[in-house]
Amino acid sequence: MDKKNLILKKLDEDVRFHEALSACMNCGICTAICPAAEFYKYDPRAICNIVQMGNVDEIEDLLKSDTIWYCGQCMSCKTRCPRGNTPGMLITVLRKVSQELGYFTESEKGRQQFAIEQIVGKNIVNFGYCVHPDIVEPFMHPEQGPVWKWFRKNIESVAPRFGAVYHQEKAGALRKVDDNSIDEIRRIFEVSGGNELFDTIEKFSEQKASEYHQNADHDYLMKVYTDNSGEHSK
Amino acid sequence: MNTFDSIIIGAGPAGLKAADTLANFNRKVLLIDTDAKIGGKLNLWDRLFPDFSSSQELLNQLSKNINNENVTLKLNTNIISIKNNDNHWMATDSNGNTFYATTMIIATGFDVFDAHRKEEYGYGIYKNVITSVDLEKILSGEVSIETPSKVAFIQCVGSRDEKVGNNFCSKNCCICAVKQTIELKEKFPLTDIYCFYMDLRMFGQSYEELYRRSQQDYGVNFVRGRVSEISPTMDNKVVLKAEDTLLSRPLKLTADLVVLMVGMEASKGTKILGNQLNINNTDGFVKSTDRYLSDSETTLKGLFVTGTSKRQMSIPETMNDAVNAAVIVNNFLNTL
Ligand code: SF4
Ligand code: SF4
Ligand code: SF4
Repeated sequence: MDKKNLILKKLDEDVRFHEALSACMNCGICTAICPAAEFYKYDPRAICNIVQMGNVDEIEDLLKSDTIWYCGQCMSCKTRCPRGNTPGMLITVLRKVSQELGYFTESEKGRQQFAIEQIVGKNIVNFGYCVHPDIVEPFMHPEQGPVWKWFRKNIESVAPRFGAVYHQEKAGALRKVDDNSIDEIRRIFEVSGGNELFDTIEKFSEQKASEYHQNADHDYLMKVYTDNSGEHSK
Repeated sequence: MNTFDSIIIGAGPAGLKAADTLANFNRKVLLIDTDAKIGGKLNLWDRLFPDFSSSQELLNQLSKNINNENVTLKLNTNIISIKNNDNHWMATDSNGNTFYATTMIIATGFDVFDAHRKEEYGYGIYKNVITSVDLEKILSGEVSIETPSKVAFIQCVGSRDEKVGNNFCSKNCCICAVKQTIELKEKFPLTDIYCFYMDLRMFGQSYEELYRRSQQDYGVNFVRGRVSEISPTMDNKVVLKAEDTLLSRPLKLTADLVVLMVGMEASKGTKILGNQLNINNTDGFVKSTDRYLSDSETTLKGLFVTGTSKRQMSIPETMNDAVNAAVIVNNFLNTL
């Protein structure tokens, strides 16, 4: 199947695609309420329009662009669309297709999929947490401020003071997720295609990294994590 | 037993014109309205598009024949049920009085969309958010306001909106907005006006020309984008959020006054009677037998429908439709 038909077929096969966009009248309410559109060069209405017009070249450009990665998936757009569309969910589908076809590596924001997969993705299957203090490294998160380093060092004594049960097998924040639950999470990722998606992201990131004469390892991760063209905001 | 040739429910423009026409055919008509006065929704507007003629003047003309010996007028009468019995129609009011006639005409019209239902626009919450109906009172001088520096009109409020269950276009609010922006400009020449629209539907004779005049002679600004929400500012103004879709750019506009162009829904009376007789569309308006060939008839023999109880119409369309209904009813009576 040629590439163009493949894009359309992939969109069509995703049930969320039909749920997300039936008929858009280009009213702009979604863009007017969208928090991402206030800051980024981002216009959910225009995306709906491109997809609705069905020009595969333009859709392909979209899948390779930074644009689809600006959305915060807050779904505010759903609450107001007078035609019952959900532009945010259309974005979800476009992202999935971009991941599956490897187009995400063509844009700076898209390449960050590798960092997200390596960090958040792996955290979930390994620890049962997307974010846990043990895995939020201070050098990667300067926005946490200097107190973060101190907090991590003293976590054993500080955590109980706000009711957390750090690494204990009890109910509460920061508890250790037991092995049965972790096994269950892994099985969910296996049968739901999560692992396959991780593999796909790694495979295409590996290809991209080789273009920079890198491997898809720590250096490439740090590159996609910190690259910033400064061209994203309005 | 009070027996009439026809009972007309609703004494707005459609009912008045139908009554007038039937009376001229020498038919005995009972004209009923739930209100204390005739004219229906015509009373809510001061001047009419596109020629700024006076609605009260039109009402005076229309009501001239109301005292004709053939027309009995009953106001303050709320018809709650209609029945057919042995080829006679019966209408019963909320006090239990029943009226009888050979034919019945539904002219129960439309209701203005209740703007409170679009909570994100803050009608009833922010005092500077008003409806197009409220604005008429300002334009007529009945209510006075200080000169606003910036006014925003929002079109399609309660129309073309799945979220309020109204997928239809109300048809008249585009041209009504153009009329009102011009009137507002005449009253307050220094006021800046922004009109937020999706499509400007100038369907009638000389409407497009009026739209052009609003831009050319009055400097009204038209922005293509639908407003997502309105919020208050510290200095008692309001901020509107929209996208200028022609520039692909989100925008915020601070205004002293916002006018919501409320749409036309099937009136409560239209919905109740239509439901009872099972002759309404899903949108609540009454369905005629065939919009091309028998647009005054319903599927029930001797029951007719006219005006905005069928669908959104302008005043001239309503009048023509009412004459048509009266002719059809008269023909029907002739065949008996
Ligand atoms: S889901 Fe995405 S497109 Fe929709 S409002 Fe949120 S950020 Fe904007
Ligand atoms: S709010 Fe809905 S109809 Fe309006 S532009 Fe966005 S997707 Fe299209
Ligand atoms: S007439 Fe204009 S304002 Fe009214 S519903 Fe139709 S498009 Fe919207």
